Amino acid sequence: MLRKLAFSSIKSRLKDYVVLFSGLVVAAATFYMFMALATNQDFLGKNSMLSANNTMFIFIFGAILLAIITFFYLIYANSFLLTMRQREYGMFMMLGAKTGKIGQLIFMETFLLGMGATLIGEVIGIGLTQVVARLLVQQMGLTLQHFNSFYWPAFLITLAFFLVLFIFAAIWNSHKLMKTPVLKLLHSAEQPARTQVKPIWLAVQALLGVALLAAGYWAMINIALLQLLAIPFALVTIVLGSFFTFNATFIWLLRLMKKHRSFSLRGIRNFTLSQLNFRIHDYTRMLAMISILFALALGAITVGLGFRNDLSMLIDSFDAYDVKLYTHSAKIDAEVAKLDIKEQATYSYKVKGKQIYYRQDQLQDQPLYYFHYQRSGGISMQMPQRRRFAAKDYQISRETPNGAVQNAYNQLGIKSIYDGNALTGHLVTAAEFARLPGKTSRLTLIRVRDFAAARQKIAKIEQAQLTAAPEFSEVLENSKYANAQMGTAMYSGMIFMGLFLGLSFLAMLASCLMFKILSGAYSDVKRYDMLNKMGARTSVLKASVAKEIGVLYALPGLLGIIHVLFGLQLFKLLLLNPYHGIWLPFLIFLLLYGLYYWLTVTLYRGIVIPKVEIDK
Amino acid sequence: MTNEVVTVQHLVKTYGKGNEKKFTALKDIDFTVENGEFVGIMGASGSGKTTLLNILSTLDKPTSGEVRINQQDLTQLKGNQMADFRGHEIGFIFQDFNLLENLTAAENIALPLSLQGVAPKQIQPLVMKIAKRLSIESVLDHYPTELSGGQKQRVAAARALVHQPTILFGDEPTGALDSNSARELLETMSSLNRNDQVSILLVTHDPFSASYCQRILFIKDGEIGSELRRGERDRAAFYQEILDNLGTFTE
Ligand SMILES: Nc1ncnc2c1ncn2[C@@H]1O[C@H](COP(=O)(O)OP(=O)(O)OP(=O)(O)O)[C@@H](O)[C@H]1O
Ligand SMILES: [Mg+2]
Repeated sequence: MLRKLAFSSIKSRLKDYVVLFSGLVVAAATFYMFMALATNQDFLGKNSMLSANNTMFIFIFGAILLAIITFFYLIYANSFLLTMRQREYGMFMMLGAKTGKIGQLIFMETFLLGMGATLIGEVIGIGLTQVVARLLVQQMGLTLQHFNSFYWPAFLITLAFFLVLFIFAAIWNSHKLMKTPVLKLLHSAEQPARTQVKPIWLAVQALLGVALLAAGYWAMINIALLQLLAIPFALVTIVLGSFFTFNATFIWLLRLMKKHRSFSLRGIRNFTLSQLNFRIHDYTRMLAMISILFALALGAITVGLGFRNDLSMLIDSFDAYDVKLYTHSAKIDAEVAKLDIKEQATYSYKVKGKQIYYRQDQLQDQPLYYFHYQRSGGISMQMPQRRRFAAKDYQISRETPNGAVQNAYNQLGIKSIYDGNALTGHLVTAAEFARLPGKTSRLTLIRVRDFAAARQKIAKIEQAQLTAAPEFSEVLENSKYANAQMGTAMYSGMIFMGLFLGLSFLAMLASCLMFKILSGAYSDVKRYDMLNKMGARTSVLKASVAKEIGVLYALPGLLGIIHVLFGLQLFKLLLLNPYHGIWLPFLIFLLLYGLYYWLTVTLYRGIVIPKVEIDK
Repeated sequence: MTNEVVTVQHLVKTYGKGNEKKFTALKDIDFTVENGEFVGIMGASGSGKTTLLNILSTLDKPTSGEVRINQQDLTQLKGNQMADFRGHEIGFIFQDFNLLENLTAAENIALPLSLQGVAPKQIQPLVMKIAKRLSIESVLDHYPTELSGGQKQRVAAARALVHQPTILFGDEPTGALDSNSARELLETMSSLNRNDQVSILLVTHDPFSASYCQRILFIKDGEIGSELRRGERDRAAFYQEILDNLGTFTE
């Protein structure tokens, strides 16, 4: 009987349950996906530019962070479940249900909900891992090797982790329900007490918050000066600074707004401000934590995409020419005809023993492009500049060849310069060249308009050359295309990690905030009912909800964005320009964050906005 | 005719839509409240008092019949008009005070004016005026948790009256008060009625509260059973008559 009652009340709150359940499913799926990567050495070793050991460390660090946030997430999700249920269970107890029986019921409910969500989450996680991997490979032109979407150890770790947490949650819930007096369960609406903070202390905290943040930002900008010390220093000051900022600066701002009566006494503003004032006290720690996590997540995505950005620039700097044709065949010519060519030049050479000869007039007519490396001044990464030699640079001399000529020998070489069998180059006039015995061979250098777009076609050309003329395999294995393939493989692991960690952190932190806010919704029902009776329009109430929750989402988001903007300074060491194209990750991030905001507002409204009875 | 603030004719309210089980909470109710009257509504639990009050205050819609407040036909109101109507024309006091705990007493009282878009500058004097009238000036800066039950109900009354509504509705406002606070509140209400011409409709179980009214309607099973008028008698005599009437009424 009791079981039936409990079940029927679940049906009446189906929407909230669906959200809770799908939230848990997402958490389990994310956790599985991450573990499938973190515990899969094959994947790590082959897909990261760092050695497998280093990557393992980074992934374990990520896994610990993910476990911590999942833990907090489950706490918030569980407290939402508890607030949603305590009134009903309190009612059953009033009606004479035995406490032990109720304890059992809530234990079963929490446990079954959790385990069901975990199992479904893992199945979805396996599927998603496959889909995401494939999507990444296609979208970003990455190569992922040894990617197992089903991985036993990951499956078991996830199951064990959630099992333990849900057993604790279930014990906690039944304990809490059994120990709380029935009357308190029934009237659990919180009573906000007057918060008495001395204005001076508040001002001190507010200033301290801003000062600590400034110190942390300064440390990150001056990483060259502070070296590695900048990171722990910034971490401590920014965490404390965020906390004080929420604990004092925002409260001080709210008070200021409230005091300004010509502002606050309009419409429902005073109510909204008071709700916020009350909330922020309760949320201080959470909002500070979210601003930090937000920054970590957004930072991870930005850096992930930054690596991708770097990758294309790095590839561009591998070689001044995109394709080099050492041989010809009908098939190769057909593929070359398909290329969108920007510029091409053909050079003749003759090989005699260990000597190779090039024509001075050809190089003077079509000087070669090359990359010029500046001497790097600071610690930040820099890219070389593309330049072109001048005709007068190609001078024949008896001494050691100058830079331009040496460059020509390298770029026009047909053997690897790293192996012992390299040929010695000679620059000769056209007349001398004609007098030399032997067959004249030709080498064509091509620059295409867009290397990334032409990559598939170039792959075919390279392959065709290898089959047609295996004697050039040494230089072909060192071509721009071959290097690009290798670089892509190295960077893709980093990109994947950045994106994955960033998105899963975002999903978790936004859900934490959502469940925390929704847990408070049930105690707000009466307030909104009262306002409705006083004649506040439904649209006004809805707007108030949107604003209140909007501020709770916007503040940590804003602070998090500022953290990231300064934090990217740290990545000047690893990335060419960490700020390049950051609008894209910011946009993706804000869209997803906005989606959570919208979901929270919708659910909150569903709980608190009184329904006006309409008769037909 | 123009002197009536509330006119109810052939009011029927049936709960349960479509296939649901139907329950008629109000059957053919007729009554009027004149401007400046203090009317009580009494009846057993479940007789339909709250239902009636909800309809009068546009929180619920009648199934059929006509309800006019201040000459406005409530059945013609839609969406926002209903909320605006509640905001302008009606003041509410409830058994459980229903103050917003995160606002001070003064801010609670100011809220209806803010909602109506009264300029912030004009709000302060209006709040002070009604607070003086209800003798709560000294607690204006307190939060509801820092007030006694009686004080809370006075603040609620001040909030219900600050925008000078056409009529004040009370649903068991003394229900959660001790007898002294209850008496004080009723004295205040009756003084507001006499000296400030506030029309009041008071729903109550309690014969003592009802004895402050000028007229009492007895509602039973969704119908108005009988009516008592105080006339020129003193309160004690009226109280006795209510008691007698309740005796016969409940039989
Ligand atoms: N939303 C509803 N749906 C169905 N029936 C309802 C609804 N609200 C009230 N009723 C029924 O209408 C009848 C009148 O209810 P109402 O709340 O008006 O009684 P009341 O006179 O205010 O009682 P009390 O003195 O206990 O407050 C009751 O029998 C109740 O069960
Ligand atoms: Mg009632």
